Amino acid sequence: MSASAADSRSAQLVLNIYVGLFVLYLFLPLAVMSAAAFNSYDYPSVTQWRGFTLEWFVALAHDQRLLQGLVNSVLVALGVIVVSIPAGLSGALILTRLGQRSGTMLYSVLVSPVLTPGIILGISSLIFWRQFGVAGGLFVAVMAQSSFIASYAMLLFLARLQRQDRTLEEAALDLGASHTMVFRRITLPFLAPTCFTAAVVAFLQSFENYNTTVFAIGGEWTLVTEIASRMRFGLSPVINVVGVIFVVVTLLAATSYVVLRGKPKR
Amino acid sequence: MGSLARAYGKPLATLIALITVIWILALILVPLGAMVQQSLWWRDAKGSVSLTIDRLYNDIAVLELDQGNATDPAKKAAIEAQLAAKQAEVTELEAQEKNPPKTYGFANFTRMSSLHFYIFVRTIIYALMVTLLALVVCYPVAYVVALASGPRKAVILMVCLIVPYAINELLRVYAWLMILDYRGVINGILGWLGIVDLDNRGWIPFLENPSAVFLAMIYTYVLFMVFPMVNTLETLDRNQIEAARDLGASTVRIHRRVIIPHAKPGIAVGCIMTFMLSAGSYSVPSIMTRGQGGDWFSQLVYRQFYESNNWNMGSAYAVSLLVVCTIFILIMMRLFGVGLRDIAK
Amino acid sequence: MAPDDVEGRDMPGLGGEHGADGDPMRGKDVRLDKVSIRFGEATAVHPTDLSIHAGEFFSILGPSGCGKTTILRTISGFIHPTEGRVLIGGEDMAGKEPNERPTALIFQNLALFPLMSVAENVAFGLEARGIGKAERLKRAQELLELVALGGFGDKKPADLSGGQRQRVAIARALAVEPSVLLLDEPLSALDLKLRQHMRTELRAIQRRVGITFIYITHDQGEALAMSDRVAVMSRGRLEQVAEADMLYADPATPFVATFVGEQNVLRGRVATLAGGEAGVDTPVGRLQGRTSGTLSVGDEALVMVRPERIALAGTGENSFPARLVSRSLEGPSVNLDCAAADQQFMVTLPNGPAIRELPEELSLSFGRQDALVFPVGALANG
Repeated sequence: MSASAADSRSAQLVLNIYVGLFVLYLFLPLAVMSAAAFNSYDYPSVTQWRGFTLEWFVALAHDQRLLQGLVNSVLVALGVIVVSIPAGLSGALILTRLGQRSGTMLYSVLVSPVLTPGIILGISSLIFWRQFGVAGGLFVAVMAQSSFIASYAMLLFLARLQRQDRTLEEAALDLGASHTMVFRRITLPFLAPTCFTAAVVAFLQSFENYNTTVFAIGGEWTLVTEIASRMRFGLSPVINVVGVIFVVVTLLAATSYVVLRGKPKR
Repeated sequence: MGSLARAYGKPLATLIALITVIWILALILVPLGAMVQQSLWWRDAKGSVSLTIDRLYNDIAVLELDQGNATDPAKKAAIEAQLAAKQAEVTELEAQEKNPPKTYGFANFTRMSSLHFYIFVRTIIYALMVTLLALVVCYPVAYVVALASGPRKAVILMVCLIVPYAINELLRVYAWLMILDYRGVINGILGWLGIVDLDNRGWIPFLENPSAVFLAMIYTYVLFMVFPMVNTLETLDRNQIEAARDLGASTVRIHRRVIIPHAKPGIAVGCIMTFMLSAGSYSVPSIMTRGQGGDWFSQLVYRQFYESNNWNMGSAYAVSLLVVCTIFILIMMRLFGVGLRDIAK
Repeated sequence: MAPDDVEGRDMPGLGGEHGADGDPMRGKDVRLDKVSIRFGEATAVHPTDLSIHAGEFFSILGPSGCGKTTILRTISGFIHPTEGRVLIGGEDMAGKEPNERPTALIFQNLALFPLMSVAENVAFGLEARGIGKAERLKRAQELLELVALGGFGDKKPADLSGGQRQRVAIARALAVEPSVLLLDEPLSALDLKLRQHMRTELRAIQRRVGITFIYITHDQGEALAMSDRVAVMSRGRLEQVAEADMLYADPATPFVATFVGEQNVLRGRVATLAGGEAGVDTPVGRLQGRTSGTLSVGDEALVMVRPERIALAGTGENSFPARLVSRSLEGPSVNLDCAAADQQFMVTLPNGPAIRELPEELSLSFGRQDALVFPVGALANG
């Protein structure tokens, strides 16, 4: 008994070390990238340290193309919210009321964009919209991203609707409410928190998206596609500064999310 | 439709049905159809047509010369008729040259060069390797996060996983670019140790090796394997493990008979997501190779669209990629006995 | 039961002052005309005729899955009958949605809107009718006072106790001045004490407002205590519709006889038939009882007698020796568990000093009016 207890303790130790190494593996490259943002050397590096500086932050603040990219990213993300939240909500509302067989068919179609490589969504949108004379740009990017972000929104709404007490809607109907009033006073308030979550998720997904956007964006650019093309032309500490900002914002968001929910993401 | 109207009333049911139909048609199915259609036709190469036109102009010049020299009216009329015929042919061919007719068929697929086909196969094999490696690396992590640790520790670990997961994939690639670059971290350390000579460009060119893409790709997509597995493992009743241990099962047997069967949907989802992301990734290869190499299939697709301007060929490449991903999903679903509803959670 | 039964306190908000033409809220009759309901292959309700009078407290009693909730949801309009018609106040309800019917339903889980305050809940039906905010909140307040929740308007349903939520649901349903109030086992979630209290409360409210109550329950005590009339359902069919007393004293079918109250059941063969009475040969001898069925001599039959109808003394007709196996004290009464010829008998007697000194060998007897004889086949239905 004691031997096996020691066994399981040492197994636990090995597991813990393994997970620790894994976390280190995840964070070390990010730490290296972040540190280089403060190095006063015009090539991002940590091995050749020329002293601490904030000059790259200033350079970022004066980088018109990156700033315009940021504005474009926000515009696209807002567009995606406008398109994908109503679409996702409608799909979820239909699916919760459909029978098993026809439901599965529709579900497969609506979920398929999540399982499709991003570049394919970008390409197909590019081709589709060119037939209407719309060239690649912010609009096509919104459409391409919405095709799969709407699916994510739908999954969020579906999960919420599955926890809905159907009798509430029946009770409201029974008290004489019209269907529209039931939707406005019962269903929508119930879904309101999910609308918010879905909008945040949609914004982040859109803001961070690269693989779909790079095909659909044409001659325009978003923050992320601009960063990517800079990376291809050579390393610049300004990119590291963007990276630091991303890391810090993500850290804050993730921590506050976990603290607020008191539970890990599921 | 009837049950929808009963649930939401006619006006609302019509509206949500309309929005959903627009979503399906304008954002999903018709664009996909447009891409498939685009992949199925091509315009004939312009070369042969231009050559014929040139030859016709030659003929016309000769005929015009003959026409000027001819004195016999009958002969002159014959030359004029010939001239008119040639000119008509030229006009037609010129119209064709400007806007060659579409030809439908599978040539865009069959015409893929052997180099491109090799890259296509290599991309799939690499993506499979990324998936397998991610599965092996992540299973213990998911197990620890979901089952083997206390709730407090699990929360901390979750944050440790969510943060890198939520950071833009480009930056994760960029971090590796910094590490593997000529003047990157590794070469820097090697130079400091005196193993390589940085001043005389004596660095080790890690980035020129395709495995650099592979390394960065694992780093970028490994976490897409963790979260689906954690989600399913969290629903496993820990008593089941203890019961199995109590019944004398070895650790290996417990994993094989209790934990892995329970985690099946999560493993399937993780594999599908990781494979799909890495096979279709454009960010990792394009950044790691600085747009130089053509190591990854997605780069070939991009070039067809934005450099060769051959959308038909590009579409055919994209459709091939989509077919492979679909087959992979179907195989995983069959292999793990999960439905689409289990997958997208 | 006409509204002139009304007694007791005033009814703010429910009296004549608010009716559209000065009439008080008035009940309507409900009629099911050959209603049958099928879901795909499965038949939930076989063709059924049922007439519920205006202003009566009517219960539908039956085990779970018997189709009673289906009938209730058909009356309220959530289910459309496969065949037949539903008439309320003489008007055919075909094609009318729940929000167009003069009914209000109280759900088993009450279905209070969790995001709205108690007052908003009660005022919801008035909001749906386009009544202004000030007016509807005033009437909600009156109704809340009626159910003794005057000070709770601003609370959320989750802040109330089970019994309070119950009363909010009642107030909310009454706010729309329905002609028929439908109640789907609304007391089942309450504890015993509260349940008994709410029985009297519901009955009193029904008397005051005078509208038709249709109450669904699987609890015979609730049905018998509150109702003017009770329908007993089993497997999608109505077994019997009768006043509560009659149901107990004169059950029409073996199912009703055994489902409502306790019965001692003996199997036997009919030996004599005369004047609505049958003599049945059973393991404890020949027993005489009433019958209204289609029995003939030689048929297998069931003799049923209620535990409280059996006496300990007596000889002659319908008497037989038995052995006392055990007894259990119920408080005011005592249940004796007896055995006679391998048959178990339950006997319920009023508690008293004599009960403590019972011998082991007893003689049980009952009157021929207290025993009922049914054909055996009929039990298969139940």
